[in-house]
Amino acid sequence: MSDALLQVRNLRKSFGGLTAVDDVSLEVRRGEVVGLLGDNGAGKSTLIKCVSGVYQPDAGEIVFDGATMTFTTPMDARRHGIETIYQDLALANNLDVGANIFLGREVKKRWLGGLVHTLDDRRMAQQSRVTLDSLQIRFPTLTQPIETLSGGQRQAVAIARAVYWDAKLMIMDEPTNNLGVPEQHKVLELIRTLRDRGVPVVLITHVLPDAFAVTDRVVVMHRGRKVAEKVTAQTNTEELVQYMVGARDDDVAA
Amino acid sequence: MRKTTLAALAAGVAIALASQPTLAADKLKIGFLPGVVDPFYQVMQLGVEKAAKDLGAEVVTQVPPTWGVEAQTPLLDAMVARGDLNYIIIAPVDKDQMVGPLKTAADHGIKIITVDTYLGDGDYVKGPVKFPLSYIGSDNIEGGRIAARGLAKAIGGKGSVYINSTNPNVSSVEGRAVGFKEVMAKEFPDIKVIGPDFNLDDPNKAAQQTAAVLSREPNLAGVFGTNVFSAQGAGTAVVNAGLGGHVQVVAYDATQLAIELMDKGVVSLVLAQKPFDMGYLAVAFAASDAAGVTSLPPRVETGFAIIDKDNVKDPAIARFIYKVK
Amino acid sequence: MTVRGSIVAPAGAHGPGEGSSLKRLALFLSRMWAWLFLAVMVLFFVVAVPLSTGGSVNFLTIRNSQNILVAIVPVLLLGLGQTFVLIAAGIDLSVGWVMSLASVLSALALRDAFNSGAPLPVAVLAGLAAALAGAGVVGFLNGWIIAKLKVPAFIVTLGSSFIVRGVAYLMSENSTVIGLPAGLGAYGNDALIYYISGPGGGVYFLHRPEVGGELLRRMEIILPYPVLATAFVLALIMFLLHKTQFGRHTYAIGGSMDASVRSGIPVDRHVIKVYMLSAATAGVAGFLSTLRFTAGSAVIGDSLLLSSIAAVIIGGVSMFGGAGTVIGTVIGALIIAVLTTGLVMLNVDAFWQFIVVGTVVIVAVLIDQSRDLIIGRQRRGAAQ
Repeated sequence: MSDALLQVRNLRKSFGGLTAVDDVSLEVRRGEVVGLLGDNGAGKSTLIKCVSGVYQPDAGEIVFDGATMTFTTPMDARRHGIETIYQDLALANNLDVGANIFLGREVKKRWLGGLVHTLDDRRMAQQSRVTLDSLQIRFPTLTQPIETLSGGQRQAVAIARAVYWDAKLMIMDEPTNNLGVPEQHKVLELIRTLRDRGVPVVLITHVLPDAFAVTDRVVVMHRGRKVAEKVTAQTNTEELVQYMVGARDDDVAA
Repeated sequence: MRKTTLAALAAGVAIALASQPTLAADKLKIGFLPGVVDPFYQVMQLGVEKAAKDLGAEVVTQVPPTWGVEAQTPLLDAMVARGDLNYIIIAPVDKDQMVGPLKTAADHGIKIITVDTYLGDGDYVKGPVKFPLSYIGSDNIEGGRIAARGLAKAIGGKGSVYINSTNPNVSSVEGRAVGFKEVMAKEFPDIKVIGPDFNLDDPNKAAQQTAAVLSREPNLAGVFGTNVFSAQGAGTAVVNAGLGGHVQVVAYDATQLAIELMDKGVVSLVLAQKPFDMGYLAVAFAASDAAGVTSLPPRVETGFAIIDKDNVKDPAIARFIYKVK
Repeated sequence: MTVRGSIVAPAGAHGPGEGSSLKRLALFLSRMWAWLFLAVMVLFFVVAVPLSTGGSVNFLTIRNSQNILVAIVPVLLLGLGQTFVLIAAGIDLSVGWVMSLASVLSALALRDAFNSGAPLPVAVLAGLAAALAGAGVVGFLNGWIIAKLKVPAFIVTLGSSFIVRGVAYLMSENSTVIGLPAGLGAYGNDALIYYISGPGGGVYFLHRPEVGGELLRRMEIILPYPVLATAFVLALIMFLLHKTQFGRHTYAIGGSMDASVRSGIPVDRHVIKVYMLSAATAGVAGFLSTLRFTAGSAVIGDSLLLSSIAAVIIGGVSMFGGAGTVIGTVIGALIIAVLTTGLVMLNVDAFWQFIVVGTVVIVAVLIDQSRDLIIGRQRRGAAQ
């Protein structure tokens, strides 16, 4: 199991009377893209939020990079290298690209023997450009507030932010939502780039073409349970749809 | 006494002006800066403007929207910055805090005449503040005394009375409360004096404060409102409590509302000051000083008209009601 | 690094697909309109005042310029704190009354310190400390209730303004604190430079020269101490807002609370600090007014809240947070002060200033919204 970066074992999470995640286990290995599929309300988001520290699971365990983890806050999970990009991106629209990439972790210059700190804008702009270049993201200017950028460009900024902070595992929730077709391609390309750089990606989506375009394996959830786990190349749309609507169930709880 | 002084001054100014023709061509410019917007100062402004017309002076008037040094000082500063005013006639809104800004104006060569309220202790000859030319206003302590005796008579010499006033550290209303308390203490020991409360020149607050006192003081027999807004507010509160006629109100400042309340039997005594006189005299003093008169009195007390329901219809008295056209 | 709404941003910083030069001009104007309005207004008064007084009064004089600087001190100080709060998508309605409370507290502390034998400079420092401490407590409570108890800022600061007002009245003696040491007026009214023109004149520094008569008449007072103190606070606030992480995080919280929380910014603590900062500037304003009038007044800040908000909005700070600059607030405060002074010099009833300021505020918001419209069109064009 040394290849598995993330292992989720028998995770359970309920809210009041509703069991959102019911005894789910899965595994993410280095260098792969895992698709997490399911219709609305299947429990994908809840599962992910347990892994990224937003929720604490009621039962089960999370093993990351060989060690059992309990994440009490999202920052906890990020510190260990799990970066999550939610649908709303969590970007500050009024700040520019560099400011967003470094949000919360700004680079500072010290003066007067450490008494006074100022923002080292130049260093941050420099680093931003390096990161963006490495992901082959091209922006015409880095100094516009990002609200003037397109949806796909903003996704790219969110990804660049995660990459800069040395994400070991990237979780993306419906990244191609609300994007035009060329931008969707761009985002999928970025996901492949990440995988090639050794950062595995968990891709939550209910858009099957995306799953087929970029994932290595898929896990399907339905009503809180894991109902299928397939190698992408060995399955097809009709089959996955059947799993997603609950017409088929492999009952693969470990 | 006052009439002859005015006549003498006017004659003196006319003679002085006539004998120095070039002075009339160099028009006298005076700034007028009252305390706040109210009928008392509006009548004063009528006096200022009439005198300016009669004596050929130009007046720059600004009225602060609220009572306070932070409202009056910027207007004063702007007037000084104009550089073309020879005199400023002002009702200082605080007898201590306005000394600094007015001294600065005086240093810049502008002569100051205070009306209605004074700086320091009002003695510009021997007191701590000496730079103003003159103080023209009512003898407010005496006014307080008159109010006290009138109220005491109206309530039969015993009971509690309540003072509702406007702002602390203002010479005019301060003097009225002092005179009032003095007489009550010396001449009417059976009367208990409550207050003063400060309504900060807000008639609504005056009404609230008076209403509160009305409801908690069983023996309240009379109220003394120390100026326009205090009297209005207090009178309104008495009417609203249904006590018009049972609780006697003495009002300082003869606004038309105060007179109405007197007709209704709510207010038993109104002390009318003479703001028109204050305004007119102030301008006349400025003109006289500009013409070279050096014997202007440093203090002029303009007196009162005491109005009650017996004389309110008498035209010789009714003319002192504050009517602003 | 740029932030939306920056009045001093270079005009060329636009996205791809720029559109016509007319649009660029419109965008430039929308950012700089407050500057332009101020310039036009000053020009108007420079021309109109001498015309209306037959040449005897001029608008651009040393005395007038210093008057205007002195006049903006309280509004600007309150506006500086309010700028920070508004950028963080909050609002502080208590600043006027915090200023009053600070005035009362500093007067009491000053008087007590001096009467117990402290030398005047020490007593003055005691006054400043009391003002800042009192203001700090109010700011802390405001921020804490807003951040931890999640009560909307409008309500919290409205409620605290009443409480503060009551405390100020109770602690003062009938709303004024007098009996302050005699030499205090110098701290509040003396200036850096005294210039006496003409024969026998000269330039003096720091203390009022002891002259009288004609020389005194010709004396110009340049850069009074309260103005210098305000300039210092202004520089400090500009530094904080534009050069430090604290400022950057303030913009972030105002732009997206969510993003800030998820980025690990300690939002609650930050919000508390922002409200403490706002109260502190009000505290300085109250302290300076005590020095200027040599008395503490529980009513002095009452009318200033709305003017400070007007100055901030005219200056381009968005009511919704995330945008604005300090320079903008300075321009806003200047517009209000120049307007009042100019109207008095024109001998126009100063009440007209309220009508003009109100109109300018509404125009400011309209222009701000129209900017989004212009950018919006560009934004759609930028998608590739």
